[in-house]
Amino acid sequence: MTESNKLPSGQTRIDSLEMLNITKRFPGVLASDHVNFDVKSGEVHALLGENGAGKSTLMKILYGLYHPDEGEILLNDKPVSIASPNDSIGLGIGMIHQHFMLVPTLTVAENVALGLPSTRGFMTDLDQVSKRILELAKIYSLKIDPDAYIWQLSVGQQQRVEIIKALYRGAALLILDEPTAVLTPQEVDELFVIMRQMVKDGHGLIFISHKLHEVVEISNRVTVLRDGRKIGTRPTSEVTKQDLANWMVGREVGFIPDRGVVDRGEARLELNNISCSSDRGTPGLRGVTLEVCSGEILGIAGVSGNGQRELAEVIAGLRKAASGQVVLEGQDVTGLPPAARADRMLSYIPEERMRDGVIREFTVAENMVLREHEKRPYSRAGFLNLGKISRHADELIKRFHVKTPSRDTLAKNLSGGNIQKVVLAREISRAPRVVIAAQPTRGLDIGATEYVREQLLEQRRNGVAIMLISEDLDEILALSDRIAVLYEGRVMDIVPREHATPEKLGLLMAGVHLEESVSVVK
Amino acid sequence: MKKISLFVTFILALALALSACGAPAEPAVEEPAATEAPAEATEAAATEAAPAEPFRVAVVMPSTINDLAFGQSMYDALVRVQEEMGGPDAFEFVYSESMFVVDDAAAAIRDYATQDFDLIIAHGSQYGSSLQEIAPDFPDTSFAWGTTVDTFGLPNVFAYEAASHEGGYVNGVIAASLSKSNVIGVVGPIETGDAKLYVDGFKAGVTATNPDITVNVNYIGSFSDVALASEAATTHIAAGADVLTGSAQMVTGAIGKADEAGVLWLGTQSSQASLAPSIVVATQVFHWEVVLMEIIALVNEGTLGGQSFEINLENGGEVIEFNDGYALPDEVKTLAETTVQGIIDGSVTFTLP
Amino acid sequence: MITDLFSTTVLIGILASGIRLATPYLYAAIGETFSQKSGVLNLGVEGQMLIGSFAAFYVAFTTGNLWLGLLVAMIVGALMGLVMAFVTVNLHAQQGISGIGFYLFGLGLSDLLFQRLIGNVETIKGFEKIYIPGLSDIPGIGQILFNQNILVYGAYLLVPLAWFVLNKTTLGLKIRAVGENPDAADSLGVSVARVRYFTIVLGGALSGIAGASLSIALLNVFQQNMTSGLGFIAVALVYFGAWKPVGVLGGALLFSMVNSLQLWIQVLGIPIPSDIAVMMPYVLTILVLVATVSRVRAPSALTKPFERDE
Repeated sequence: MTESNKLPSGQTRIDSLEMLNITKRFPGVLASDHVNFDVKSGEVHALLGENGAGKSTLMKILYGLYHPDEGEILLNDKPVSIASPNDSIGLGIGMIHQHFMLVPTLTVAENVALGLPSTRGFMTDLDQVSKRILELAKIYSLKIDPDAYIWQLSVGQQQRVEIIKALYRGAALLILDEPTAVLTPQEVDELFVIMRQMVKDGHGLIFISHKLHEVVEISNRVTVLRDGRKIGTRPTSEVTKQDLANWMVGREVGFIPDRGVVDRGEARLELNNISCSSDRGTPGLRGVTLEVCSGEILGIAGVSGNGQRELAEVIAGLRKAASGQVVLEGQDVTGLPPAARADRMLSYIPEERMRDGVIREFTVAENMVLREHEKRPYSRAGFLNLGKISRHADELIKRFHVKTPSRDTLAKNLSGGNIQKVVLAREISRAPRVVIAAQPTRGLDIGATEYVREQLLEQRRNGVAIMLISEDLDEILALSDRIAVLYEGRVMDIVPREHATPEKLGLLMAGVHLEESVSVVK
Repeated sequence: MKKISLFVTFILALALALSACGAPAEPAVEEPAATEAPAEATEAAATEAAPAEPFRVAVVMPSTINDLAFGQSMYDALVRVQEEMGGPDAFEFVYSESMFVVDDAAAAIRDYATQDFDLIIAHGSQYGSSLQEIAPDFPDTSFAWGTTVDTFGLPNVFAYEAASHEGGYVNGVIAASLSKSNVIGVVGPIETGDAKLYVDGFKAGVTATNPDITVNVNYIGSFSDVALASEAATTHIAAGADVLTGSAQMVTGAIGKADEAGVLWLGTQSSQASLAPSIVVATQVFHWEVVLMEIIALVNEGTLGGQSFEINLENGGEVIEFNDGYALPDEVKTLAETTVQGIIDGSVTFTLP
Repeated sequence: MITDLFSTTVLIGILASGIRLATPYLYAAIGETFSQKSGVLNLGVEGQMLIGSFAAFYVAFTTGNLWLGLLVAMIVGALMGLVMAFVTVNLHAQQGISGIGFYLFGLGLSDLLFQRLIGNVETIKGFEKIYIPGLSDIPGIGQILFNQNILVYGAYLLVPLAWFVLNKTTLGLKIRAVGENPDAADSLGVSVARVRYFTIVLGGALSGIAGASLSIALLNVFQQNMTSGLGFIAVALVYFGAWKPVGVLGGALLFSMVNSLQLWIQVLGIPIPSDIAVMMPYVLTILVLVATVSRVRAPSALTKPFERDE
């Protein structure tokens, strides 16, 4: 009995953890409304919900970052008080944050040792820490070099450091907050292998995600939250993806958008052998040649940081191409500034919508007219026509279902989804010929995501040429007619929709050439 | 957010108030009975009427009143004027010191101008352009600006300067007579104005006395960097100098090094003997009261400006003060006194570069 | 005349005075390194130095006890650091602005106290040069390195000590983590506030010593604004030294050596206008900074107040 009580790491198992009637109020919001949640040793319990549904609040309470207004937490049936991360760590609860809590300039061992007492008093004992890291790595089959600096590691490896960090601190129960959001499909598979191993060994895992197929694949039970309330908890085997989606959104969700049949027209955007450098001065793009045609969505897949940002910026005119040409509807625009390209009806939905998409301190109406404010009817001889601008804004707010108190609300006070709608309204309402959409649904909830995708498809039906840059493979697969995979600034391959599978794209994203994949040239 | 900005504002305000200390808040020290019972004041006014009105002066200076240099020379002069005119009842003055930021100084000058002072002294050549703007706005107030000869052609601006080269020449003669190593060092602030005038006069005095002596000159580029002035003195000493001189308030550091090394020092502007009684030989002391008395007389007669003045050895505005603590050989002292006389009567002449 | 620069006297002179001039920079810049490593830009160094400088001088002047003066300088510097810490850590004040506020506060307060408590420029007998038998007698090197006062030695010993604390202790690990990613440190139970309080107070104490090194060891006088921008140079040296104690040492020595070189250039009568000569240390420092800037990266959280959650 005592033996079976221990995890391979030597830590005592947490047989059960229960959160009862957890309530947390923020000014004006009930973030968690009498929520019950529990997790047992040897299971993955998925926590599902849209942004703002209360998943993070609940988990931050469990980890000691927030204090609940009501409710209690039972560990192995005994009430515990968790006032700070130190308390939760002490109880054997670990958390893998969505944004990794790692210090890039420190080594793996230093990151693990941070905040822990040293066996050598005030001096660090990194050699001891490294030894223990290697032990744990062996037990859990995690490959890790304790002396590597975090900045040298891939995202997947960094995640492993986070797991090691939690295990090192004796975590028996792990909270994984959207752990797959930043991983390639292969890395997700590797993570799931590790998770299954941990569950088998007796750990309890809480898995937060909004990717339904992952939840279905990995979890034993699933709990859905909406607007701070618990909708229900079910064994995963008893529910379908469609059920979960409906519970999350609170209504029927059209799951796979209807693409319709659209004939591909003439090439509207052509890139010829484009090269440019990244912000750090290293090569960003190396000889990229692509074309996007009227009535098609060209998906750009790839792991973050493989040239997506540079690609979008070179086309928009925000980054200088070192060589090669950008051709818009037959005209070479390589040397033209962004405004001149926009005048040729190129629209751009930037990746960092808060930084590049809107001006945070401007009102919704002002943001909606940013592109066209110098043109009639919005201004004349340098004077803004405020009446026209207001009417235009009201119209767009209605048409694009922007949830805002008024057109005079500052952009920074809107939610992410509504900010994206403002950007979308501005860029699409002008009847563009070419749209560059960079990560258009990142960070948006299902409802907003659905809306944005629908709008892109709508544009496609209107014959617009669309380039969709996304790290979400499901999105790429659902929307694109053809898919180009970027790897280290090169186009690995262009795969037609019919031949694309997550596995195939995953390999290309990792830089592996596919002999059998059909290259489409024109 | 609000409380933060409030707090920062408070800190800044406190800091500014403190940094401006010894400024307009100071008058209470010099201006007697400013806060005494008003009954008494009205009584006094009633009985004595017009003549009791004192002559009121305000002065704005870049350094402090006790810098043992330029600022102190003006402060000491004002104290002497006050004594001469019969105390605070007849002459009162206020000052704003540490006005090294010209904009602050300009604001202070303007403040004083609105407060019915009889004379406002801008004691720093850097204040010129500010004064040129301010003076025309207050045609009934008299301003004085030094050190310069330029009154901008304005009828209410006096200009004053010091013929520092004269005392510099005498100091040079003394230094040359005392140097055994034939190397003399000079620590200057910035190569311009009063400092340059003094140094050039000093060099002329040395060369006239002993052309074999090397005079090493070092301008450190700052009026306030005491540390660098001290290293400059150390450098001179390492280069073999056995007599040093220097101008402006940062020389205190240099005097300290000279004292440590037992090297002689000749000062200018204000007496520096108190810092190092055993090595300070003599100081050219400025007596601005010579000029101030003339200006005050003119203002009382109704002339508010348009003239420029100079203090020099002849009019007693510059005095070579020997330090009693240092046993200066009689023949050197005699030579120095003869040189002073020679400059006054024109038998000693020299040209500046 | 140029060749005179290479005579033994001149070389020894340049090096010895460079070593001395670098002393206050080292104390202040090492202190600033600690606070910047933890993510706090303290622009009030100059003000802390002035207060420390005055406090040390006043105590030594009235009691004759130099060590007591040094201790008081440390304490008042630390107290100013404590207030700075409260303003930046608890109130999340904009660090640049509040730093300038603290500078002006130090400038004003030191001047005010000086006027009220001492009144005139006075001199004292400061820390004397320490003669080390054997070492001080080595020709050349002895004069350069082993003919200095205790605070000069202290400044140079501080460099390896600071390196050790930053790189080899748990405290140093916390400081580095807090300056790079305070969220990560917080999630591991490291108190970001406590670490920053510590570094800012330490920086204040060291700035106090830096001021004291001027008033009771190197110059032995106090006068208004006598640090004359030295504290701001010290902040720049932290950037120059790429947030490493050894880099700060290199920067302080380079700046000071070139400064003493330009003093000699003028003394030797080498025909360079004095205005150009006094610019040399600044110009050279900027050139080196430009040449090395690409590899230098500031702590990511520098100047960013830390707050749990957005």
